[in-house]
Amino acid sequence: MEGFITTGLIGISLGSQYTLLALGFTLIFGILGVVNFAHGGFYVMGGYVAYYCTSTLGMPYAVAVLVALAATAILGWLFEAIVLERVIDDHQATLMVTMGFYLVMATTILMIFGAESPQFSFPVSGVWRMGGVYFPYANMIVLAACLVAIALVYWLVYRTNIGRGMRAMAEDRAVASALGMRTKALFPFAFALATGLAGVTGALVTPILSLAPHVGDATLAYSFLTVILGGLGSVSGATVAAFIVGLIEAYAAVYLGGSKGALTLFALVMVILVVRPRGLFGREVRRS
Amino acid sequence: MSFENPSTGALKADHISKAFGGLKVFNDVSFTLQPGGLLGVIGPNGAGKTTMINIISGRLRLSSGEVTLGGTRVDGRPVYENTSRGLVRSFQQTATFHGYTIEDNLLSALRFSKSDLSILERLMPLLDQFGLKANWGRNAEILPYGLQKMLGLTMALAARPKMLLLDEPAAGLEKSERDNIDTYVRFAREEFGCGVLLVEHDMELIKRLCPSIIVLDGGRLIAEGAPAEVLSYPHVINAYLGGADENEEDADAQHS
Repeated sequence: MEGFITTGLIGISLGSQYTLLALGFTLIFGILGVVNFAHGGFYVMGGYVAYYCTSTLGMPYAVAVLVALAATAILGWLFEAIVLERVIDDHQATLMVTMGFYLVMATTILMIFGAESPQFSFPVSGVWRMGGVYFPYANMIVLAACLVAIALVYWLVYRTNIGRGMRAMAEDRAVASALGMRTKALFPFAFALATGLAGVTGALVTPILSLAPHVGDATLAYSFLTVILGGLGSVSGATVAAFIVGLIEAYAAVYLGGSKGALTLFALVMVILVVRPRGLFGREVRRS
Repeated sequence: MSFENPSTGALKADHISKAFGGLKVFNDVSFTLQPGGLLGVIGPNGAGKTTMINIISGRLRLSSGEVTLGGTRVDGRPVYENTSRGLVRSFQQTATFHGYTIEDNLLSALRFSKSDLSILERLMPLLDQFGLKANWGRNAEILPYGLQKMLGLTMALAARPKMLLLDEPAAGLEKSERDNIDTYVRFAREEFGCGVLLVEHDMELIKRLCPSIIVLDGGRLIAEGAPAEVLSYPHVINAYLGGADENEEDADAQHS
């Protein structure tokens, strides 16, 4: 039983990380209509920026996380405004441009930091235990930080005018535009928000999991999977799906072992997509 | 007909043509809609009616010709820019934001179009009559189709149109709900003084409302004039009985 609870805690903490990644991914898809293949790149970049700030510049870890957030958000803003904006109406071009940008990011990191994983560990060690239930303090802190970030995103999306604008655009861009909304004005902001979320997740999570130039691949795959499971463009769907993915991964890894976790996950997603092609919370397109 | 006196505020389509690749959706169509006027547009499915609204509103580019509003070119301009110019379109499908209440939908429409709350006050009689006021706090997507449609149309008015482009407002409505469209068009003209381009399949509605109409078929303007007269022309009747590819119109009517 204790093992079951411990695994559940790990699953929830994985779920909160996936939520941050998936929220960014789904916002970009919903608002810009772009599948951002560079999403994993911003996650890796966040990790390396935090690593550089703590190891080389000697900053406290908490400050390093904020620097990583700012750096990835700024780069995201610039990338959207300077590069992506030019091809935004051409779906194939946005795929190529974001994928190309990911390769540039990953290779740049490889050139600067080398292929080997750096020594980047969480500043807080120790394990909280109650009876047979274990939960590392590091995971606890990351979980708390992720939950705060998720709450902030929800507040922004559901309680502010800029969020209402973003949601309206995700719901129906043609209608928002016909009502007079300058739809493209929010694009750089939405993109920066999403890449900043990926970056801050990278800064929080890579000290616990692993940091290497290529970990963005798996990050992209999981973000994609979560968002498809939840329904492309859906904020609540991405959140629920992220926790489902986290819990399945944790339980499958413990009770089935190793790679069977990923296998279970992909099999389940496949089944769900056969039954509900639009994902768990995907919106039906209504026709007259 | 394109060299009349330049009346400020008139919507003019001047020899407009649109082709998708080799497919000509319409060819050399011209018409003028005076400020505050009402012009019906009819034609069989696939005649290019929705495409025409997409072009006038700025969503699609013309292959040749131009559309002007009060002398300012509007085709090929961003949709939001045309909206702020007073050229506002509606959609064939329901055009509301899901997950938003009626109130939030209207407030969003006000915000996007930079209108203030006084516009909402002016819309109140309409909202009351359509039964939208009675459902004020309910989410748009759980409303009956007819109510969603009227909400979308009322939201278009929140953008303070000078020219309103209505894309089959009565489509999908029950017979009993179609009077709402009469009320809506009358209200738009009286309260906002706006001109209306009414694309519609419901001939009864067209005959009731429109002093003059144009008929599109296969992308050409084949007739114009008073409805009773135009609808008696043999070639207009033929165009309707001849039948056209329905899928084409459906495909370009999609907006989401």
